[in-house]
Amino acid sequence: MTPIESIWSKIREREPWTDEEREQTLDELFPDDEKIIPYLKRFATLMILSTMIAAFGLIANSAAVVIGAMLVAPLMTPMLALAASLMYAQMRRFMGSVTVIILGTLGAIATGWLVSRLAAGTLTAGSLSPELLARTSPSLLDLGIAIAAGLAGGYVLTHKGAGSSLPGVAIAVALVPPLATVGVALEFGAIEFALGALLLYTTNLIAIVLSASIVMFISGFVPDYVRQIARGHLGLRLLPWGLALLAVTVPLGLHTKSVLEDEAFVKDVTTAVEEWDPQAEILEIDADRSGSRATVSMTVATTTSDLQPAWKLAESITREYGIDLDLDVRYQRESTDAASTS
Amino acid sequence: MQRRRASALVLLVAGVILAAACTSTAVVTQNGPVVTVFGGYRGVEAERFAASVAPFEEQTGITVSYVGAGSFAKAIEDRVANADYPDVAIFPQPGLIQEYARQGILLPLDEETQATVTQYPETAVGTVGDVLYSVWFRASVKSLVWYEPQVFAGQGYEVPSTWDEMMDLTSRMEIDGYAPWCLSIESFGATGWVGTDWIEDIVLRQSGPDVYDKWVAGEISFEDDQIIAAFETFGEIVHQPGRVLGGTQRILNTPWTQAQDPMFESPPRCLLNRQGSVQQAQLPSWVTIGKETDSFVLPAMDEGEPPILAAGEFAAAFADRPEVHALLQYLATPEAGAAWAAAGGFVSPHKAFDSDLYGDDLDRRVAEIMNRAAVIRLDGSDAMIPSVGTGTFWTGMVSYIRTGDARTVAADIQAGYPEVTHFPEVPVSEG
Repeated sequence: MTPIESIWSKIREREPWTDEEREQTLDELFPDDEKIIPYLKRFATLMILSTMIAAFGLIANSAAVVIGAMLVAPLMTPMLALAASLMYAQMRRFMGSVTVIILGTLGAIATGWLVSRLAAGTLTAGSLSPELLARTSPSLLDLGIAIAAGLAGGYVLTHKGAGSSLPGVAIAVALVPPLATVGVALEFGAIEFALGALLLYTTNLIAIVLSASIVMFISGFVPDYVRQIARGHLGLRLLPWGLALLAVTVPLGLHTKSVLEDEAFVKDVTTAVEEWDPQAEILEIDADRSGSRATVSMTVATTTSDLQPAWKLAESITREYGIDLDLDVRYQRESTDAASTS
Repeated sequence: MQRRRASALVLLVAGVILAAACTSTAVVTQNGPVVTVFGGYRGVEAERFAASVAPFEEQTGITVSYVGAGSFAKAIEDRVANADYPDVAIFPQPGLIQEYARQGILLPLDEETQATVTQYPETAVGTVGDVLYSVWFRASVKSLVWYEPQVFAGQGYEVPSTWDEMMDLTSRMEIDGYAPWCLSIESFGATGWVGTDWIEDIVLRQSGPDVYDKWVAGEISFEDDQIIAAFETFGEIVHQPGRVLGGTQRILNTPWTQAQDPMFESPPRCLLNRQGSVQQAQLPSWVTIGKETDSFVLPAMDEGEPPILAAGEFAAAFADRPEVHALLQYLATPEAGAAWAAAGGFVSPHKAFDSDLYGDDLDRRVAEIMNRAAVIRLDGSDAMIPSVGTGTFWTGMVSYIRTGDARTVAADIQAGYPEVTHFPEVPVSEG
């Protein structure tokens, strides 16, 4: 036994799965013929409601409401079902799960779009809430979260007694909020934001299916007779998912790179501000650098009445760092006044 | 014993002030000569300006390093006060050029550039005395009236061809239950310029270009009957109740950028907006020019080609180096605007400019209006001395809209002129 095999055998240490337990778990994932209609009704209802909660929460910028939506969201089940169908090599169940996921995805985007139509007038593309914006620029960190959460999802499914952790999995790897974000962003014509949120959702979907499949395989959830039949094709079945995972790492890597660049650039700007006006304190800064062009908007607090003009700062940053700049500065002058009589 | 106690702590967040700036440099570590340019273009405009001078940089190896300030007029004043001159400044206000030329800070155009400018007589407007100081780089037209073609078609309204027809149309709209004019002028520290544009357009139409020129030069007073008459013509629109949406309150307190918004409500709450080609940038994103809105030239008093009030940006030099003159000479040619015209948002003051180069339909139309016009005059308030043009004339417009007392307002505006009305002779040095 190689060391890795021995570690895995430790992880797998539990009562071996009985066929009854497997059937019961699979039943939960794949409703039977007569249960399919009630299942779909329940799925559709929860999907629409959770997306509505998510969209309203995102527009209202309420993290708590968005988390609530994640707990109501029913998308995790068909994704775990998809992973199981891959491991069991069951084409019919595979197609069924894929269909449910696609319909759920499209339905959620449409619901997000409708909600933002209803809420129109409270928002413009320029004033999208931070909760929304947070879902439009996924990075490699999000991929890490999704892989870990997929492993946890698979673990919970295959280890009785760990079921109470499933809500945590759902929160860690949110599926419905990114879809709601796609819908809202589309309504505001912010195609780039919509694509960013869609990338986050796709990353989560792929990572969950792939890592849950792996947990199912090594945990003994897949019985030996299925493993023997299916083993030859296992690599072939997982290959597209592995390739898809590699494919999403490209844009995620680019996003991450630009986030790191922006952070380094903010440091440069901060240094320049210190030279520009030693009295000024940056209260808020938003910098977006792409190549040799950057957009910076910031709020500075200053106690002097002799405000330094923005163009001087822009000029010094360009001279110092060779970056062309669009700069907006808000000066906030604070003063206090107090009085008392007795 | 009675004891009263009161205490108060007031935390003031005193004024949030906004400033914006923009830079663009083609090459960072330069070996060749560099020309620093200071102007008011920011964001997309700064990028398009950079694209406009890129061919010059390629041909000559000279680097153009551009810095744009959101509040250009104030920034250039500060720079001049600190003797911190850029090589070239691009002024939206020719009045500042006049002032700095008189102070001897600006350089006259060199002979080659003068020759290039006079080759296109329509652009030779930057003279102080008889000496050319600036190059007219970009033009815009102020004398436009924006309307909604579908409402005109539905109500049977026709685009007026004389001032009287326009006033008849105004009355008809009132009878039909509309507030005819969308007019609001609030513009932060620059509030008043929308009103000065109106007065200038009216003076140009009522009294003709000669009176206009003398008035702008300070030779005809604001208190002259002809200028008072222009205020009163404007008053027939702003001081007749019901003619402007929201009355005095909305005119003064609503940003000029939102003046036309009520036109796009259903049903429209006002139908006419006199505003220059800059209005294009203020239209809601879903509005297409030619469909949801369109514009006609503010009509002349009588039949015939109306005179055009124009504005734009003018480049002038603070530094006397060959590369600086080379840039100005390039900016004086029609070719200088080609890249920007293709991208949109640029109208060339040159009649010779190839109209096929325009990527934007409104730009092309504005260029046609300028080419057709028999009389073109630059925005008077930009050209007047700053203490009046961007001083008492602006504040005077706010007073006039509030009070309607043309005589008092005219006297207050006129008081913005310094005691000495004759400036010392400009020292002429040949570049």
